[in-house]
Amino acid sequence: MDAGLNLALWVLRLAFLALLWVALALMARALLSDVRAASRDPAASLGRLVVIASSGQPAPGTVFALDAVTTLGRDLGSSVVVDDPFASAQHAVLTFRSRGWYVEDLHSTNGTHVNGAQVAGVTALGYGDEIGIGDVRLRLERGRR
Amino acid sequence: MTGLAAEGAAPVLPGFPRPRARPRELGLLVAVLAALAIGSLSLGLLRTGRLEPADPLGLVLYAAGLLVAHVVLVVSGRRLDEVLLPAAAFLGGIGLLVMERLPQDLVVQEIGPLTLGLGDLQLLWLGVALAVATAIAVALRSDRWLRPYKYTWAAGGLALLALTFVFGSEVNGSRLTLQVGPFSGQPSEFLKVILVVFFAAYLAENRVLLADARVRLVGPITVPPLTYLAPIVAMLALALGIVVVQRDLGAALLFYAVFLGLLFLATGRLTDVVLGLLLFAAGFALLALIFPHVQQRIAVWLDPWADPLGDGYQLIQALHAFARGGLVGTGLGAGLPEIGGRLPIPAVHTDFPLAAIGEELGMTGVVAVLAAYLVIVGRGLRIAAAARDDFRALLAAGLALVVGVQAVIIAGGNLKLIPLTGITLPFVSYGGSSLLANAIVVGTLMALSDRGAAPPALPRPPRLARLRGSPRGPS
Repeated sequence: MDAGLNLALWVLRLAFLALLWVALALMARALLSDVRAASRDPAASLGRLVVIASSGQPAPGTVFALDAVTTLGRDLGSSVVVDDPFASAQHAVLTFRSRGWYVEDLHSTNGTHVNGAQVAGVTALGYGDEIGIGDVRLRLERGRR
Repeated sequence: MTGLAAEGAAPVLPGFPRPRARPRELGLLVAVLAALAIGSLSLGLLRTGRLEPADPLGLVLYAAGLLVAHVVLVVSGRRLDEVLLPAAAFLGGIGLLVMERLPQDLVVQEIGPLTLGLGDLQLLWLGVALAVATAIAVALRSDRWLRPYKYTWAAGGLALLALTFVFGSEVNGSRLTLQVGPFSGQPSEFLKVILVVFFAAYLAENRVLLADARVRLVGPITVPPLTYLAPIVAMLALALGIVVVQRDLGAALLFYAVFLGLLFLATGRLTDVVLGLLLFAAGFALLALIFPHVQQRIAVWLDPWADPLGDGYQLIQALHAFARGGLVGTGLGAGLPEIGGRLPIPAVHTDFPLAAIGEELGMTGVVAVLAAYLVIVGRGLRIAAAARDDFRALLAAGLALVVGVQAVIIAGGNLKLIPLTGITLPFVSYGGSSLLANAIVVGTLMALSDRGAAPPALPRPPRLARLRGSPRGPS
């Protein structure tokens, strides 16, 4: 094997390995820039509440960004005003504690339901669970991060 | 009230979606293809002594397939992940180069008038896998047909496995292959996807219960309530039982590791994982007592040189291949795939492609391959963290774990880090079932990464107000 061919082989071999790593470095850069963009996202929130079904206000499809303490009820001072004939003024409260969401019924007249079952006391919620207040059904979703 | 509604509420427009450019994906694909072209050139130069790529048609077809997939994703207009496809194409391309480089008569199949060798068949399967992944990424929009039918899916997967057990054909002492007409496949490759769907759906449904309603076991050690754990444990036991009897130890290890990972993600309790590992150790000891082939695997792992021409032969040759490769390898095509017309590693295209990569691309190449798996797993976990509910989060994390754990099991086996179990290296190994199952994984992960329609741009103030400098200017 002559020297020229040998040299060309060496160059190609090392260029192949170098290019493989260049492609990987570009992927790593894409991952990093995504992480940075997510940490800057102003819309980041603890969670969102999506209205699935209701007879009046709020209209189905409405999305609420949640604070760590979110009150639900017919009272206009509630974080999420639920205008349903079966809703109490102060109906329920959603709280974010350490790592997860909890719902507590505030002794409402007609009760609060999670996935169809009435809740008593403070109940843990998972993302994707459905909260029922009167005819209004709301789904808890993870916030955008 | 409607003022709050703007955030995230996607306006649904009728008609064809607007194409959305994916510049990052295109750039990464070009980088991957450039690297593969140089690799193909180095193989061609060594073979013929002229500066031409080995199998230029195969390379062009692979590039064309990737670009078509890219265009389809652009036209679909969905906001999908842009790194997963290039990362999978990176691994698939290296696999394709390795298959083109190995002796082509390792696998020969005749389709009509064509006689296809190893490289051609791998290219064919890569094309099919690419089509499947793209179709799933574009078409999978809802989990309505996935989540409510978890028991149906699980039963279907187990039935498939049982069918293999009864009607399957035996290869290398393991009954893993199901032959239907001219097609043959390994159902356990698809079962891993189905199991992840089942685990994710069940754990998402009962996550709160499993994490909060703990039952005291001994002293401060608590476990999830066993009645709620029973269905998933029964499912796991059934799957493990079948694959262990089938002697598919790699699949058993994979199922168990993914189950433990998902349980930890769902409950967040380290004690569950520690208990699971203790159970695993006990079960493994029991298996080793019952089945002689498990004892044999362990003996080969501990000392392959005890029987260098028999049981330990393949592993010793793999270790020699890694040693010959060194830091940068011998170069593509310059390794020793056969000595005296005999393959040193008979299963080099299915179980030991990492040894071939280690010999010809060296440690630099092996670490590059492992880093690509890291990119896929990291991406999958990120998709899980951004998913909008628990089912999607657990599904994405489970699919990412399937790829990562499988790569760890076979890479560790090839390197004599853990006992060798026959399992494929995802995206790299030869085999239609393996490529298709992993294509389903990548396609589903991409579909789960959909971020919905972009929020509408902020409305611009009317021209007159902008000229005055303030919306509240003198009127």
